[in-house]
Amino acid sequence: MQTKPNAGLFKRNPPIAGEAEAIERAKNGDPDAFSKLYSLHKRRVYTLCLRMLGNVSEAEDMTQEAFLHLFRKLGSFRGESAFSTWLHRLTVNLVLMHLRKKGLQLVSLEETINPSEEDAPKRDFGSRDTQLAGSVDRVTLERAVASLPPGYRMVFVLHDVEGFEHNEIATMLECSTGNSKSQLHKARLKLRELLRNPDQLPETESSREVVQ
Amino acid sequence: MSNLSKLDFDSMTVAEFEQYLPELFASGESGRLSEDPRLARFLAANPDCAALVRDLETIAETAKSLFVPDQDEPSDEVWSNIEKKLKQ
Repeated sequence: MQTKPNAGLFKRNPPIAGEAEAIERAKNGDPDAFSKLYSLHKRRVYTLCLRMLGNVSEAEDMTQEAFLHLFRKLGSFRGESAFSTWLHRLTVNLVLMHLRKKGLQLVSLEETINPSEEDAPKRDFGSRDTQLAGSVDRVTLERAVASLPPGYRMVFVLHDVEGFEHNEIATMLECSTGNSKSQLHKARLKLRELLRNPDQLPETESSREVVQ
Repeated sequence: MSNLSKLDFDSMTVAEFEQYLPELFASGESGRLSEDPRLARFLAANPDCAALVRDLETIAETAKSLFVPDQDEPSDEVWSNIEKKLKQ
């Protein structure tokens, strides 16, 4: 029996036309329906992988893994959350598993530990010369996010971009909710610093490849 | 993390504000911290702190726009590989 979905869960992920039908058909083994699900979600899944990994080749590999995993797990989707939320959580867990296999420590175990003097946000957070000039455009923010140290980037992408709650992030990253909040705050402070000098931000890997 | 229940918003120092800021942001996710009436007096008296809050709010707000991808998409090879593996 299909579980009645909670409308509040769909605020950022409104149902996509034809998606529900494609899900049901794909569950029954229809390859065209699975192809449609890929077409509908490939960009978001790939972008999520690219932001978390910062590398086009790895992001493509993980996108492939995410959809293969989706194919195997689709039967367990009950519609209790938006399909894209469910797919993104599945993708995040795969990427985190991949990073752990590579031996990357995702967040510091103690929130008092900074990544390094160079990477940590400066302490002069309140001084006037650190203020942003005004609004921030998404292209510049994307480049700044790509420049963040991996631990900060992970929490920022999961919370501020993907919309996961701190308790969900804590579970995924195997840290405390306090650590998640602290890392997010440091990430935002670091972004503020980076956005003060947008001309010095490096291009993202994807934009370099488009130019080449 | 710092416990907000112990905080006196009207008499807190800038150092306390800095210490409690991650928790303040986390507790006010449904609304803007810059418009939180508990902080109105403090932020009016500390314009640098008010500017910091506005900047961090701007960053968090703009981040939401990144949820919808711009132009990046995987190469056609990704789907070809998926198709091949599903046929195996």
